[in-house]
Amino acid sequence: MLALSKYVLIILSLVLIIRCIRSMLSDRYEPEIWAYLRYGETTYTLTHWETIIGRSLNADVRVVSPGVGRVHAVLRRNDKGRWRVYDIFSKGGVWIKSVKAGPEGLPVENGDVINVGGEKLRFREVTLSKREKLESKRTVAGLGISPAVTLLELTVFQLCLLLQHYFSAEGDTLRAIALAFVALIALEWICYNAMRVINRSGFEIETLAFYLTSIGMSVVASSAPEDMFKQILLTIAAVVLFVLLGWWLRKLDRAMSARFSVAVISVLLMLVNIVFSDALLGARNWLNFAGFSFQPSELVKVGYIYVGASTLDKLFRRRNLYMFILFSTFCVVSLALIGDFGTAFIFFVTFLVISFLRSGSVATVLLAVTGAGLAGFLAVSVRPYIARRFSTWGHVWDDVYGAGFQQSRAMSAAASGGLYGKGAGGGWLKDIFAANTDMVFAMVCEEQGLIIGVIMVLAVLVLAFFAVRTARQGRSAYYSIAACAAMSMLLVQLGMNVFGSLDILPFTGVTFPFVSKGGTSLLSCWMLMAFIKSADNRRDASFAVRSAAQDEPDDGEDEDLSSWEVWQPRKK
Amino acid sequence: MLLIAALVICGMVTYLLRYVDHGKEWALYFSRANSGSTGQLVDRNGITLAYFNGVDNYFSPDRITRAANYHVTGDYWGRTGTGILSRYWNDMQGFSLLTGTTRKEDSLLTLCIDARLNDQIYLSLGEESTGCMLVCNYRTGELLGMVSTPSVDPIDGEGAVRDGAFINRCLSASYTPGSIFKLVTAAAAIENLPNLSQRTWYCEHEVKIAGVPITCMADHYTQTFEQALANSCNVAFAQIAVELGQSTMIQYVTDYGFLSGHSIDGIPTVKGNYPTEFVGDPETGWSGIGQSTDLVCPYSMLRFLCAVANGGTLVEPHILQNDTPAITQLVNPNTADRLGQMMNYNAVEHYHAETMFPGMTVCAKTGTAELGDGTSHSWFVGFLADADHPYAFVTLVERGGFGITAAGSVASEVMQWAVENLDA
Repeated sequence: MLALSKYVLIILSLVLIIRCIRSMLSDRYEPEIWAYLRYGETTYTLTHWETIIGRSLNADVRVVSPGVGRVHAVLRRNDKGRWRVYDIFSKGGVWIKSVKAGPEGLPVENGDVINVGGEKLRFREVTLSKREKLESKRTVAGLGISPAVTLLELTVFQLCLLLQHYFSAEGDTLRAIALAFVALIALEWICYNAMRVINRSGFEIETLAFYLTSIGMSVVASSAPEDMFKQILLTIAAVVLFVLLGWWLRKLDRAMSARFSVAVISVLLMLVNIVFSDALLGARNWLNFAGFSFQPSELVKVGYIYVGASTLDKLFRRRNLYMFILFSTFCVVSLALIGDFGTAFIFFVTFLVISFLRSGSVATVLLAVTGAGLAGFLAVSVRPYIARRFSTWGHVWDDVYGAGFQQSRAMSAAASGGLYGKGAGGGWLKDIFAANTDMVFAMVCEEQGLIIGVIMVLAVLVLAFFAVRTARQGRSAYYSIAACAAMSMLLVQLGMNVFGSLDILPFTGVTFPFVSKGGTSLLSCWMLMAFIKSADNRRDASFAVRSAAQDEPDDGEDEDLSSWEVWQPRKK
Repeated sequence: MLLIAALVICGMVTYLLRYVDHGKEWALYFSRANSGSTGQLVDRNGITLAYFNGVDNYFSPDRITRAANYHVTGDYWGRTGTGILSRYWNDMQGFSLLTGTTRKEDSLLTLCIDARLNDQIYLSLGEESTGCMLVCNYRTGELLGMVSTPSVDPIDGEGAVRDGAFINRCLSASYTPGSIFKLVTAAAAIENLPNLSQRTWYCEHEVKIAGVPITCMADHYTQTFEQALANSCNVAFAQIAVELGQSTMIQYVTDYGFLSGHSIDGIPTVKGNYPTEFVGDPETGWSGIGQSTDLVCPYSMLRFLCAVANGGTLVEPHILQNDTPAITQLVNPNTADRLGQMMNYNAVEHYHAETMFPGMTVCAKTGTAELGDGTSHSWFVGFLADADHPYAFVTLVERGGFGITAAGSVASEVMQWAVENLDA
């Protein structure tokens, strides 16, 4: 029975990941069409909410003329379907009907002629009825590969895991384990049905996240069954936060306007962390209250992505850039100060990714300088740490009772699982300290086998590739940047976790997304998924994306004077 | 971002390749007590030296046996790399890349070693000594005895362990050989110097080679080749080495395997040393009598002696039974015979063979390897020319003084015990 369940788990994992890959990565590129810009003889189709007009090769609408700057103007549609054009520090200026546009933009109506540095572009909006027609031609997500069937496979997978725990768990812990798994299954089906109710059919991201979460659940059941109840509560909380954040991100203006508040909250969280945290294992990144230990830096990850991403019209403003640089520096420096170098490094790499995605001319220079500065700072402050970790790196077998204690055991356990594993609860690594966090990959390999270990890594890779694909047709740069940055963050984290424990990289003690035990980490991973959901604008795919064919509510509010706008001094 | 993904994929591939390569090694390193396998390690008479029942690991109940055989068995924690457990433990466990560790029932490793002989060697050497002894059946290649002191009681995990106790001196150390090296020089002389039987060497305490004096323990005056070896005359052998020349000496040292590491059923031994850069005549003289920078691993000397004792044919020593040993012609048969006769002459004329080795036909050579600080390693090496008791032996007592007194008496006790108690 146990032996059979091992193979069933592997087959289900394989089928599940293949279905997700086919569903997520083999869709054709089907952009949404929002408007047209006619320049001379050429008609440009606007497939995003934000369009760069300029001389640059990277511009969406390329206008080659001496009066036009490299990035001259941004044409942007808001949630309500209103279009504005923004002048991005151009020398030639942007006019509509001889009104000059400033950095705060100028409304564009259907049929308007936009004068960009002397060149004339005619704007034509796609009407709602036309959009409905266009939308009906796009493929509905999940049409070919039913998400319900995939989810059903996941359910069987979870039941098999539960079965394995039935054989290995101690009597009184089994109830809690069973309860947690049943609750998890209920949770995912509630999510699925809720999504069907609002007529959405893309559930692959959630399925993969639930897949990883259930492996994480199994890890907790093996290594710390007394925490099962806490784990399921946290999982429910994580999914609720995921839905809330996804919902919040539906409205881009709302999301953008809250960036400053999020930045402030993140800074406060970091400060609280620096002041009040307990030192645990060298890194002071834990806060304890009400029986929950809490890692503020995990939540700041979400805040960092939230603040780091931006719509194009704001992206090129200096103020925005300074803000981002300041915020990044603050995050990396404070993480280094509390000794959490692993997370500091994750932030640093994410910073590089966001910088790359943002890259504009001035921006590139400043970002490069900041990048170099942060790298230098990290290198200096991390030196003693590096010296210690790096001296062990690659030599863990020389000192298996000292510096190489954890990695050598992780590698040994991972290898002793073979391809099929020892069954949930059947390994020995679970009794070693940090097996369910830093060495979780090894623990999964030992209990579930190398195949599932690899599929676990593959699942995160699939999400990452999906983020890259979907970013191309994202409505706003905000969503695209956020999705890519979020996945980069998770990928780096995964790499450091897996390869750190296998002695391919130095051991840093960061978590494996979704799988490592740790409540705050689980919350942040699920919340990061919301960014990917909000970028997933396949037809009817995501609850975090409003339907393209949906009429925008017109409540007559033209000006979006947000806190961000107020904070930002206008340019004379 | 795709770059990060690519790096993650590369890392994963790296791991998978390493897993295929080292998976077994890794898995069994800590899974030893966890695989649930059972098995045991027994000596040639079926005495259990180590066993494990899937839950716990055990050694012999007798403390002396545990310590005497420690360097043979090794331990479950791999503290001495040359032990059988260190080398063969993984083979006594189940592992496959597909299924990971598996249970393996009742694996049995039978050794050529005689645990009682090891006990005797250990007692003869003395627990407080620093030294080692090897005994090998030169006809079959079975390694009967191998003890290194100081030793370790493997179940006394926390007890104080003497410095260097984890080193098996028989295999993992090489020493200044002193006069036992004259056997090698003699073998080279037999094959390369014409009219050897008619020649004599004159010794009056010292000979100057290119102006550098090489001294002897006594005045041996005029002596034949046989007498020179029996006298262990430095004057004679330094001159012989110079006459042979450094390159001829290097060739013989190399051919006899003193400069290579060997393998006893996969357990590696260290290599020795001989000056191979040009050193000039005085150093050639010194190195011909086992001084200079000469180093010999006791095991290499045992191999050489086994070949000499067996008419030049080496049956490769081995420690696991059911092993078909390799057979090589290490020494020219005539050379081996003549060297054997000379060693017997040594024993009879100089080592009180009739009292030290009563009733045995013993062929031996002593060595008193001066270390330059007033102390000497004491060597006693040889074999019994006896079809019923075909044992070759190497005995070494570190800083033990004269070869005949320290190592010689150990060899004497052990060989007497062996002849009485062992059936070849």
